[in-house]
Formats: sequence, structure tokens, C-alpha cells
Amino acid sequence: MSTLPSLIIMDDKRYLLHDTGGDDHPEIPARLQAIHQSLQSNSCYSSLAFISPEPATRSHLMMAHDENWLFRFEEAVLAGQTYIDHSDNQICYETYEIACLAAGAGITAIDQIENTKNSNIFCLVRPPGHHAEHNIPFGFCFFNNCVVAARYWQHKYNKKRILVFDFDAHHGNGIQSAFEEEADSYYISIHEHPSFSYPGTGYGDEFGMGEGKGSILNLPLSPGCGDDHVEKLLKEIIPQKLEEWQPDAIIIAAGFDAHIADDMSGLQYSTELYYTLGCEVKSWADKYTDGKLLSILEGGYELSVLGDSVAAYVRGLLGK
Amino acid sequence: MYILRHMTPDPITVSPAMLLPEARALLNDYHFRHLPVVDEEGGLVGILTDRDLRSAYPSSVITDSERRLVYESVEKTSVSEIMSTECVTLNTDSTLDDALFLFDRDQPGALPVVADGKVVGIFSIRDLNAAYKTLFGVGEKGAVLIGLHDDGSPTIMTRIVTLLEKEKIPFSRVLRIFDKQVGDTIYLRINTFKIAAVLELLEENEFVVKKG
Repeated sequence: MSTLPSLIIMDDKRYLLHDTGGDDHPEIPARLQAIHQSLQSNSCYSSLAFISPEPATRSHLMMAHDENWLFRFEEAVLAGQTYIDHSDNQICYETYEIACLAAGAGITAIDQIENTKNSNIFCLVRPPGHHAEHNIPFGFCFFNNCVVAARYWQHKYNKKRILVFDFDAHHGNGIQSAFEEEADSYYISIHEHPSFSYPGTGYGDEFGMGEGKGSILNLPLSPGCGDDHVEKLLKEIIPQKLEEWQPDAIIIAAGFDAHIADDMSGLQYSTELYYTLGCEVKSWADKYTDGKLLSILEGGYELSVLGDSVAAYVRGLLGK
Repeated sequence: MYILRHMTPDPITVSPAMLLPEARALLNDYHFRHLPVVDEEGGLVGILTDRDLRSAYPSSVITDSERRLVYESVEKTSVSEIMSTECVTLNTDSTLDDALFLFDRDQPGALPVVADGKVVGIFSIRDLNAAYKTLFGVGEKGAVLIGLHDDGSPTIMTRIVTLLEKEKIPFSRVLRIFDKQVGDTIYLRINTFKIAAVLELLEENEFVVKKG
């Protein structure tokens, strides 16, 4: 008798088509190739099943983005521009289509989570999303994959109290902007302190505004901080927020650039910390959302450690 | 850098004869903490703060009968009786730095801005924070601060700026801070996420990047 795989990986070869122009751009297709290589050689591989996503539709995207931005993005791509607004945001002819496929991964995953027994899904996508704002790209991000997924979960499946937990080294300004005035959309981010780090947002005293007061929990860490600091936050600060919020659905913005070897931040996480993070978020899902958990890849740029960091997180999600 | 660009122009003012309940309602309705008090010609005669009002109103720990007596007295009290008349002010030529020094020296919550004897604006400590946040790019989306060791070379600033411009690296601020304790440092606010590439470039060009 065959058993169901314990973790679904949402991925697609087309994610390699988003070309950021070579040169010194760190957000490159080789990131996903490095991740695949590590997963294939890892003992957890037999517990994984791979599914291809459907692209997000215009109406899905407009739950998180301004339509003018969609037009502007599509036009820039079709016109053969090499970047939009800032040279960080490199594009190629396929970028719009691939960004739709990245945003669609969360949507395809949520349909799986809600309608099948596949309750734990990790989307290995690019371009990443958490810096993208309602109508402007930032930091390699065009569509906010986590916010698009959150909106879909809230609207289609009535999961109102949604939590995004973001452990990328950089603050997800786009997620905070989307959630910070809403009572039931929660964002927790552990990131390098904004006085030292891109994108310069995510101070500890930004905790939401108006009806959203208290819905944002920024946990900035000083450069040089590592596993101990994160483990302390996981033990002492975050659990009481989860108890207070009682999330209906959990999305993880999974970035791996806080690794000590990744020079995109001054944080010093070990590979094994990502295992701890995987175990921890899975335990939250078991406690609050009947095991339903969606993870979406964000950053992580040092190819020599990215694959193993992702594999460690996957082992954590699997409890292996 | 002039205060005129950062103050709240034409602030709500009150007359010295206004009774305290009306002044308190104004502060509460508009969430102000400071009301300039002006005479009939618009000349500044004092400033009324929420702290002045709190002191005038009855304490929460006194008995009901005492409280009634204080309320009766407060309702008949005019602004002129409790306002501060020793006002530190700014004028239309004042700069943000002038305001910073005054806030530091006298610790007021807000400073009226006066032109030809008349109140034309008010500048609060909150306005000062906002102005300096903008000036230094604090909280600006899409930027990162990098510290470089300042070796005291007379051309180091030129070399940094030339390198960044030549390599088309967007940056918005270069600050040179002399500090004996942590060592002289040059801070760059770089407007790019390609942090590793910028650090590598700086190091290749023999600048020493400070970690943390």
C-alpha cells in the first residue's frame, strides 16, 4: 500500500526563465538548481512529491496589487526593458509570466491544502515577493507572493485570521504595508536590524496602525546575531502572540539569506537553525491550523549553503 | 533646513480670555498638546500645554466634594491664568538645527514660530523627528546603511563617491563621523539590495567595511 508523501514541493522548471541579466545580480536561476541538487541527495527526498503550479490570474493579483502596476510591469517586459524602476529589479521578456507563476504557486497550494490531504506545501519559486508593494517593485520582487496567497486564503476559504511568519534576513516591507492597518492579518518578522540592513524598514516599534494596531510583530536582530537569538524569540516571544491571535492559516516567508555564509546580511545563522525553524513552524500548524501549512521561498543567495539550508528546513517540516 | 518647510503653518490659537473647558476641548478634539495664546493683534502672549491643563484639573485621588469645588473653579479660570508666558520661539529664519538646540536646552514640547510679532506656525518635537528622519533617510524603503573605516585620507570622500558613481550604484547619503570611541567612520546610505556586490566592490578598492 502506498503512503502519501508528507510534504509537497510546488515547483516548475519555468522559474529558471526569469533572467536577471547575469553580471553581479544575486537572484539567479542557479539558486533553484542548488536547492534541487541538495534535496535530491538528501534522505528526505523520498518523502517529497512535486507538483507544478498554475499561474495567478489578474483577479488573484489584484487582491494584492494595483491594476496600474500590472499594466506597467507587463508593458515594461514586452517593451524589452531590462529593469523596472531600479536596476535591482532586473527583468527579461518572460519575467511577467514567471512572476505570475510564482504568485500562482501559493494559490495552487492553498487549493491542494483545502481540498486534498496534502496539508503541508513548500513553494520553491522565484522571483521572490516580500519586498513588493501594492504598486511598486522593490528588491528583486515584483508580486508579493505571500500577500497574494494570504488574500486568496482569506477570500476563497474564509480563513480570516491569517499569519505570515517571515524569517528572511530582510524585513518584508510589502507584507507589512499590506497588513498593518488590518485587525485580522498578522505579520511576524525576524530580520537584521533596519539601521544596518535593506530595506531600512521593520523597526521594533512599528506594530500596526488604526485597526491593525498590534497586528505586526517586528523582531529585529543586530548584525552578528545567530541561532541563540532566534531560538530565544521562538521560545519566549512568539508563542504568546500565536496564543493571542489564534491564526486560522499560516504562511511562512522562507528566506535563507541570514545564513552566516550569505553576505547579503550580517546575521549568522547555522544551517541547522533552519531545521529548528522547520520543526517550529510545523508545530504551530499542528496546534492552530490542523497541520495546514504553506511555505514560500523568499531570499537566500549563497549557493554553497542555500541548498542545504532549504533541505534542513524541509527536514524540519517533515520532523525528520 | 529652514523651519518654515517643516512647521505646521497657521496653527489654531486661543485668546488669553478663553476659559479652560473650551481650551481643553480644543486640545482633545485636535489631539494637540500645545496651543499658542495670542492677543487681538495675533501677537504671542503665552503658550498653553496639556500639562498646564492637567495640573489645573482635579486630581483623581481627591474626594468627590473636593473635585466639585476644583471643577467649579476651573470652569471660571481663563487661559491667561495658567499659561506659560516665558515662551521660547523660533522665527522664519530659524533652521532645524536652531530648533534642535532649543529643544535640547529648554526641553519644550513645541516651539511657536513668530514673524513680525505674530504667530505663523508651530514646530513640535515630533516635527523635528520627522525632519531629521527625512534628512538622514531613516525608514526610507529600499536602502541600507554601510559603515566604512575612515583612514583620515584627504581624498577618501572623493574616492568613495567617484567609485559609486562610476559603478552606477545608487546612493543617497554620505556622512563622515569623527568618533574616538568607535573609530572614525564614513556611513553610506546605498539604495540597492545588491549589498554583497557593493561590499565586494568597496573591499576590492581597498575600503574597509565595518561589520555591525
